[in-house]
Amino acid sequence: MTAADTGAGPRTAIAGVGRWLAGPIPISIVLALLIGACFMLVAGVDPLSGYAAMLQGSFGSGAGLANTIARAIPIIGIGIAIAIAFRAGVLNLGTEGQAGLGAVAGGVVALTVPGPAILVIPLAIVAAVAAGAAWGLIAALLQNLLGVPVLLSTLLLNYPARYFSSWLIRFKLDDPDSDLVASRPLPESGQLSLLVPKDSAFAETLRGVFGPTGPVTAVLTGVNWSLVILIVVVAGAIFMNRRTRFGFESGLSGQNAEFVRYSGVQPGPLVLRTMALSGGLAGLFGLLLTIGAPSTRLIEGYFIQTNFAWTALLVTLLALYRPLGIVVAGLFFAAIMVGSDAMGRELGLSPQIAAVIQALVIILLAFRVALPRIRRRRAAAEAKETAR
Amino acid sequence: MNFLELFDQDLISSVLRALIPILLAALGGMIAERAGIFNIGLEGMLLVGTFAAVAASYFAQNWIVGVLAGMLAGMLFSLILGYGAVYRKGDPIVLAIAMNILAVGMTSFLLVAIFQVQGVFQDPAIDGIPVWRIPVLADIPWIGPLFALTPLGYLALLLVPLLWIVLFRTPVGLRLRGVGERPLAAATMGVDPQRYQLGAVLASGALAGLGGAQLALGNVVQFTENMSAGRGWIAVVAVMLARAHPVGVLGAALLFGFADAIGFRLQSFGLPQQLTDAGPYVVTLLVLVLMSKRFRRTREAALA
Repeated sequence: MTAADTGAGPRTAIAGVGRWLAGPIPISIVLALLIGACFMLVAGVDPLSGYAAMLQGSFGSGAGLANTIARAIPIIGIGIAIAIAFRAGVLNLGTEGQAGLGAVAGGVVALTVPGPAILVIPLAIVAAVAAGAAWGLIAALLQNLLGVPVLLSTLLLNYPARYFSSWLIRFKLDDPDSDLVASRPLPESGQLSLLVPKDSAFAETLRGVFGPTGPVTAVLTGVNWSLVILIVVVAGAIFMNRRTRFGFESGLSGQNAEFVRYSGVQPGPLVLRTMALSGGLAGLFGLLLTIGAPSTRLIEGYFIQTNFAWTALLVTLLALYRPLGIVVAGLFFAAIMVGSDAMGRELGLSPQIAAVIQALVIILLAFRVALPRIRRRRAAAEAKETAR
Repeated sequence: MNFLELFDQDLISSVLRALIPILLAALGGMIAERAGIFNIGLEGMLLVGTFAAVAASYFAQNWIVGVLAGMLAGMLFSLILGYGAVYRKGDPIVLAIAMNILAVGMTSFLLVAIFQVQGVFQDPAIDGIPVWRIPVLADIPWIGPLFALTPLGYLALLLVPLLWIVLFRTPVGLRLRGVGERPLAAATMGVDPQRYQLGAVLASGALAGLGGAQLALGNVVQFTENMSAGRGWIAVVAVMLARAHPVGVLGAALLFGFADAIGFRLQSFGLPQQLTDAGPYVVTLLVLVLMSKRFRRTREAALA
């Protein structure tokens, strides 16, 4: 370290940004977009107009922005759930099952329990968290008692959860009046309303002040209260990681389990607590997805088709388990998904291009691609440093 | 229908049908495991194999081209894991997870881009893999189905003893195991560990690709989005259960094939398909639990 490095002059700040831009994350994103462009060429679409449609669909309008934020909420929430586990060295690949069962358990409560929303919704949340946590705990117990790796058990547990939800919705909850294989819409008391209901007086004021399609109006009248829950969860995760004993122990445990065991932390209970927390959070966000306005039915296969759990996993890997990083990466990946849907509608392509680009970012990042010139220059600088 | 009717001669052939794609993928995973690369990307490699096999068979109207394309595609796809894990020292688990998602996205995207259909691609031009019936032997009761397989079916079953011999009785196998267990020692013996590891990953990709070809051109003649449906993950479990031993891998794959075939039959008892579909995964989990003693060592590794 020299004086120039530690002094935070504007020059070094710019150099820092420059170095970050030449680093693995931006380069991986650019390369992934380039490879994505090749896929569009195969499909006979001009990549420039493809990406323009994507950008327009995700950020170009108020409705697009609201859509992106709504899509990002479950991704970020489940991402936090995965990160809590990964950070402790517990490879929870079962959030799809945990979230799916949380959605079903809480959804059934919201569908059947009478009473005012203020009672029904917390009850549904408790049921969802409990179901997700219980499904996660099975994997933790299997590892603690029998040594079955969490990586495998969580993954295999996804399938019974998936098929059970499917069966329950198709045969027990199906609404004969609907073309979808889905439950009837939730009663008002079981719905998580939009931040500002569209027909309220406040919505009218917003439309007056910010314009009927302005971004602020669109977001506030197009995103439901799960946004607030998400903000609480993200803040809670940051607090937990930095300030609590559990956060400290799990962070260390993920880095060096051996060391933590010698310093007196019991790995068994840590795995149990981690999986309960991780599964519970996944269950919570699974529920928010099904009871949150504007779509409030339990739909068969919804969770699998939307691919939230796996996108969340990629987001977590991209953000290296850091909560704020997950927020940024989650918004980015949600934008790719929403944009790909728009592109698919406009140009007749499969929206799966989103999964292609997202997975490529992670793969290229695992290759740790950086601009070679910069790396050489830095290596040369370091060599000069040591020679001195 | 009475319960015993679940177990008839046709059961053997359904077990074999379910078993072969998994066996091929699991044997591939075993080779990578022996070289010290944990390959959980089998699911994606299998899926890429199914798509390439169907597409090539459609365009060439020839199943041999389809099978070769499936193998080649699986191999090329596994290059991501091989290059990333061996030469860039990337985390194989991260790479493989991303690969599995990439495979689903890529095949679904190309399905729409090339064939303009969504979900399922079926066409009379797709040439399926024929069944090679060995006369006389195929008529023997009970074991007859063993002699009425596709060429890939025979290949999969023959690979079990063949890979056993290669792994435990040849210099190549010795070096491969050496690279997996003691890479430094292998290197001092003049073996290039990286080349062996890359080769092992490519071989696993090729075998998983063949598994995909069997799935899409042998068991059925069509491509469906995400048609590997967890079979690659079962193959990963099979490798772990069998501790990367060829005969064990066969046993684990057999078990899955059996669960799959029985589950399908239970539907005629009025059990809904959604519940019987979960059967193979539940059985796999139960076996993981029953064989848990084997994981004591793995647990230590997983926690470390």
